[in-house]
Amino acid sequence: MDIWNQLIQGFVTAGTPVNLLWAFVGCALGTAVGVLPGIGPATAVAMLLPITAKVDATASMIFFAGIYYGAMYGGSTTSILLNTPGETATMVTAMEGNKMAKSGRAGAALATSAIGSFVAGTIATVLVTLFAPVVAEFAVKLGPPEYFMLMLLAFTTVSAVLGQSTLRGLTALFVGLALGLVGLDQITGQARYTGGVPELLDGIEIVLVAVGLFAVAEAMHAVLFEGKVVESENRMSRVSMTREDWRRSIPAWLRGTFIGAPFGCIPAGGTEIPTFLSYAAEKKLAKGPNLAEFGTKGAIEGVAGPEAANNATVTAALIPLLTLGIPVSNTTAILLGAFQNYGIQPGPQLFSSSSALVWALIASLYIGNVMLLVLNLPLVGFWVKLLKVPKPQLYAGILIFATVGAYGMRQSAFDLFLLYGIGLLGLVMRRFNFPTAPVVVGMILGPLAEAQLRNAISIGEGSPMVFLQRPMSLTLLIVVISILVLPRAVKWWNTRSSGAKAA
Amino acid sequence: MTHDNRNASLLQGMVGLGVVALGLGLAIGAISIPAAAGYAGVGPNFLPWLVSLALVACGAFMLYEVRSGGFRHMDEGPPGEKPYWSGFVWLSAGMMVNAVLITTLGFIFSCAVCFVLAARGLRNSEGQATNGLKTWVRDGITGLLIAAPVYWMFTKFLAINLPGLTQTGWL
Repeated sequence: MDIWNQLIQGFVTAGTPVNLLWAFVGCALGTAVGVLPGIGPATAVAMLLPITAKVDATASMIFFAGIYYGAMYGGSTTSILLNTPGETATMVTAMEGNKMAKSGRAGAALATSAIGSFVAGTIATVLVTLFAPVVAEFAVKLGPPEYFMLMLLAFTTVSAVLGQSTLRGLTALFVGLALGLVGLDQITGQARYTGGVPELLDGIEIVLVAVGLFAVAEAMHAVLFEGKVVESENRMSRVSMTREDWRRSIPAWLRGTFIGAPFGCIPAGGTEIPTFLSYAAEKKLAKGPNLAEFGTKGAIEGVAGPEAANNATVTAALIPLLTLGIPVSNTTAILLGAFQNYGIQPGPQLFSSSSALVWALIASLYIGNVMLLVLNLPLVGFWVKLLKVPKPQLYAGILIFATVGAYGMRQSAFDLFLLYGIGLLGLVMRRFNFPTAPVVVGMILGPLAEAQLRNAISIGEGSPMVFLQRPMSLTLLIVVISILVLPRAVKWWNTRSSGAKAA
Repeated sequence: MTHDNRNASLLQGMVGLGVVALGLGLAIGAISIPAAAGYAGVGPNFLPWLVSLALVACGAFMLYEVRSGGFRHMDEGPPGEKPYWSGFVWLSAGMMVNAVLITTLGFIFSCAVCFVLAARGLRNSEGQATNGLKTWVRDGITGLLIAAPVYWMFTKFLAINLPGLTQTGWL
């Protein structure tokens, strides 16, 4: 079969000693940034984007994928062992994982999350292998109107569905779109919002925005508000699972995987919904003493399921990224930026034009999962030591890496001032609960969406009716509108009918 | 209304105003972008106008939220009662000094200075005393120990240009 031939070819490319080394360094670095608070995969990949100038595309994508993956493994270690809520992706793991750790079962929680991540990651990679080429084949048939609608869908879900407030999500999205406007217009070459500053003609580097919003803003938030936060660490125990733990974990892993994978495939992004769904499913299915453990001693299913769902979503999110060129999270948006640095535009043509790269990347996912299992089970004690790095040195050190990312991209000290400014923006956003993903997705996807919009309207000979005349784009438009309107309509209906009952 | 609440809505009001101001600023910039739509029907000024109007609308809606009880669906505020501004000034100073000095002092020393200043702010925010010379020296050495290998890794191994004090690529 064709897919298998290409996959084997991918393994050959990914299996060269140099590429294996890149994968290993990526996985190790990813685990480290996952474990360290204050720095995540998006920041790490963004800081390292300057390497795209020198390292060849295949090696650096393998490296970045390792970081992307590794951070998922590492993040759960922190959420299980530290008693502070981490990022949203691991929040659900923290609920039961923390309880297990408190009752002396930290080792079992770590084991089930690492093995669960492996199982889910591998199954989801198989799904990517099987479905990505199919989706790509289908996506070739899409024209600019459909693409524009898909991007509109991504914008809507990233800003309006995720996060607490649609208003703040949309504001963040438009700020991102505004950042994306700076520089030369892609179609006419018209300079926009450059204010005569030559550095701005090239646009604002995604590295600056990502590193400023995540790393610098995080350090600023820490110094302003988190000085007095006392963190406590749970005691480690031997990393192993009993026969009973296995019996309870395996079905939870599989359920989590099948809940998580579909969420990654649709351009809707976010691991919050699938992880919460998986948690709810596990709690609903638990019986007797197992159910009693939820929220008290900590139930192992409550760690196994969401952790698997998380990894399955994150892996499957590569399908829309690779086949449609549509990122749905911070990290995938920055991965798209990495592709763009090589002049490669992910999309349906990617599988034919850069097939060697794509299949090496997919093969490296299988390899990376195995490496991560080894890195995270026997070596977990090593990563746990990272939790002991004192906060002041950690954040001050992050600023050094932020400098590398910001300066290394264009060798301009101007960018360091800009970095500070974007850090301030990120601080305000963090303080007032604005989500950051819409900014990054808006900034990267904005110019692409604008080009598709303008191409679409020229196809329609200047008429926007083109979006309504093509069935696929009309369907997508209806989906977008219902995502925005339905939840509000249901809420309005509920309050109205409960009001009627009360009266 | 308590003092804290009033303070919070004042800050939120400022955020709303800031968003409106950003939208207006973008609109002023959009005026000078030509419409030249050509065959496309929409020119390079279409998205700028859309974004400016949307931001003004979002900002206005935020102001409405502030007037009717504050931003909706907010997480609980940060645990520290008061922001610790003096630490923030140290950290900002570190970043500014780095931006100013990086081309003259070179990456390693400039980043070490940034590390020392930022670490001082962060230490103070945790309530650590940082008056003694010992902390300065220790942070200085830690900063150098982080910055130097990073510099070597990027310049020697990955061939990325970072400014040095000398042309050797080692310092």
